[in-house]
Amino acid sequence: MAQGRDQIMARLSNVFRDVFDDDDLQLNEKMTTADVKGWDSLMHITLLVAIEAEFGIRIKPGEAGELSDVGELADLIARRS
Amino acid sequence: MRVSKSDSMREVKDLVRQEKYGEALATLKAIAAPEDHFPLQHQYAMAYSSIPRDPKDLSPIKLAVAANSTVDHFVELLNFWLGLEGFQAEIYTAPFNTMDQSVLDPSSELYRFDPEIVWLFSSYRDLDDTVMPGSEEEPLKQWVQSNVDRFAGLWQAVKSHSSAYIIQNNADFPLPRPFGNFEVSAPWSRRNLLSRFNLGLAAILAPGVTLFDMEYLAAYYGKQHWTDEAYWHYSKHAFNLNATGLVAHQGARLIGAIKGKAKKCIIVDLDNTLWGGVIGDDGLEGLQLGSGSDGEAFVAFQHYLLELKNRGIILAVCSKNEEATAKLPFQNHPHMIIKEQDIAIFVANWQNKADNIRHIAETLRIGLDAIVFVDDSPYERGLVRMELPMVEVPELPDDPSLFVRTLDRLRCFETTGYSAEDSRRNELYRTDALRMGAAKQVTDIDSFLKSLEMEAVAGPLGPLQIPRFTQLINKSNQFHLTTIRYTESQIMALAEDEKNLCFYFILRDKFGDNGLISAVIMRENDKAELYIDSWVMSCRVLSRGMEQFIHNFISREARQKGYMRMRGKYIRTQKNNLVADLYDRLGFEKLVETESESDWLYEIEDSNPHPNVHIAQVDSD
Repeated sequence: MAQGRDQIMARLSNVFRDVFDDDDLQLNEKMTTADVKGWDSLMHITLLVAIEAEFGIRIKPGEAGELSDVGELADLIARRS
Repeated sequence: MRVSKSDSMREVKDLVRQEKYGEALATLKAIAAPEDHFPLQHQYAMAYSSIPRDPKDLSPIKLAVAANSTVDHFVELLNFWLGLEGFQAEIYTAPFNTMDQSVLDPSSELYRFDPEIVWLFSSYRDLDDTVMPGSEEEPLKQWVQSNVDRFAGLWQAVKSHSSAYIIQNNADFPLPRPFGNFEVSAPWSRRNLLSRFNLGLAAILAPGVTLFDMEYLAAYYGKQHWTDEAYWHYSKHAFNLNATGLVAHQGARLIGAIKGKAKKCIIVDLDNTLWGGVIGDDGLEGLQLGSGSDGEAFVAFQHYLLELKNRGIILAVCSKNEEATAKLPFQNHPHMIIKEQDIAIFVANWQNKADNIRHIAETLRIGLDAIVFVDDSPYERGLVRMELPMVEVPELPDDPSLFVRTLDRLRCFETTGYSAEDSRRNELYRTDALRMGAAKQVTDIDSFLKSLEMEAVAGPLGPLQIPRFTQLINKSNQFHLTTIRYTESQIMALAEDEKNLCFYFILRDKFGDNGLISAVIMRENDKAELYIDSWVMSCRVLSRGMEQFIHNFISREARQKGYMRMRGKYIRTQKNNLVADLYDRLGFEKLVETESESDWLYEIEDSNPHPNVHIAQVDSD
């Protein structure tokens, strides 16, 4: 089912807020691991599994490791959903 | 379902923000299920860590996890589930891929952490993956032996470098089968070798080690989902991250059992719980029991409860009914599986169930936190949850065919052993009720005690008594002066040290054998003085002169070894008020007393301190 970019970003924002337990987190497409407190390799895995559950998709952990920012992550989700 | 849990999690966070911590914890407990997927579990764990808890409500525990796979996410959830189990956990995780090294090196960080429990968190991937298609028996035997020996060696190392209890994972069986269905027939297949390895571990199990059944959890979760190749190759997670809650929950329950927190008693409602229909309205003929699919489901549930009862879980009834009506099916229904004599206490009246459950706990002399209450009525469940939050009250589905699995998946009756006492426990509690009946008829307590014809066996702790001795030390809350807990390996070490005196006591009477009911550990303070480190007794044998018998016995033994004095300590907990004045009653002199503890001294005399005890000492059996 096709969904708009805004919709994906809104759902992704909620996933980030839940995973990092930060309701004030403002997600934007330019953000990288350095911009989110606690986004280390272990939390990255938690995040991937949470995205899989939210969007009902499967992401290869390896391909997610190569993404440079949140925008590319949203691209990947759009391709898969 | 998932949406509603996410919404509930927002509610939990709001409650935390408003500092309504009790409500936040209760809500969290109500929504968290072991089967929930990992992202939710991660939210539970984070929410839990934001709720401050009163250390008085929690038991501290130090646990070390050693693995060759990535266990960080598992440890996060284990900490959460241990919290719900009543533990303040401190968990040390050995560096990735150092299971064997951490355990074998006596100077490793793992031993410096000084854990109470070491969990060797292995999977089939840790084992030598040689497959020998068509092989003869001998090489197969050698394969099994060498893999079992490796873990036996690790256990030995843990035991010689620490006094920690050991949890050992067995091997889950992998998903792929190169030989297909034929693997089940071939003795050399990977699957059958792993199966023999698991049996091999069980066969060499020694006190102080327990196996953790990963293969059961893999099957329970569903092997095609349990196996997650992507995360094995990417991050070395040994199983699907979404199964982590399930493993952590089972682990927390097992650790609870090791530390004496397993449930002891199940209290069941009758109408629409043990049978379909309402006996008072529908009569015997109108009950669904025995025939029809619901009728068969209730029979199956009764079979399951009977199995629990036969392994030592106390079975009690709490029903809103006239007692005579409630007993009709037990006496006259041809398909009743549970009989009246299987029920330790039968309560049928019109009072509120919370009061009745309190009464049952007091009569059985067990804590409310040792009770599981099963009732089909949401009202009764809600009432008991509110009035008695320490009682475990599972949600019961409408369909009775799901009752067995609903109860079984709670894993609340975990155990690390099984003793003769366990199989006879219900009978013990029933004969207690008989004794209470007899006591009512006799007004003179001395003649009553005499009429019991009590005999006790007492002696130094030996290997035979160690499992039950340890169980008693860890399960007793009320008659436990210091509430110190010991693992089986620690008890063995204590018993072997000549500077300690460890005694066990068995009590029998004309109604039956009560089994091993008391344990005493005394340590040498100096050549003339002993310190009573632990003294526990089963509350079932209170007020019969057993305390005095034991005091006589240990005084004699101490005197024979040349000791002149015994020191005792009482450390107050929420549960052991029963023995606050024990040393006073026995004639000890109070030295110091604070709100939380008191110190006592007893100068040992030549004669028995308590001559009027109606218990004869006999040699064992």
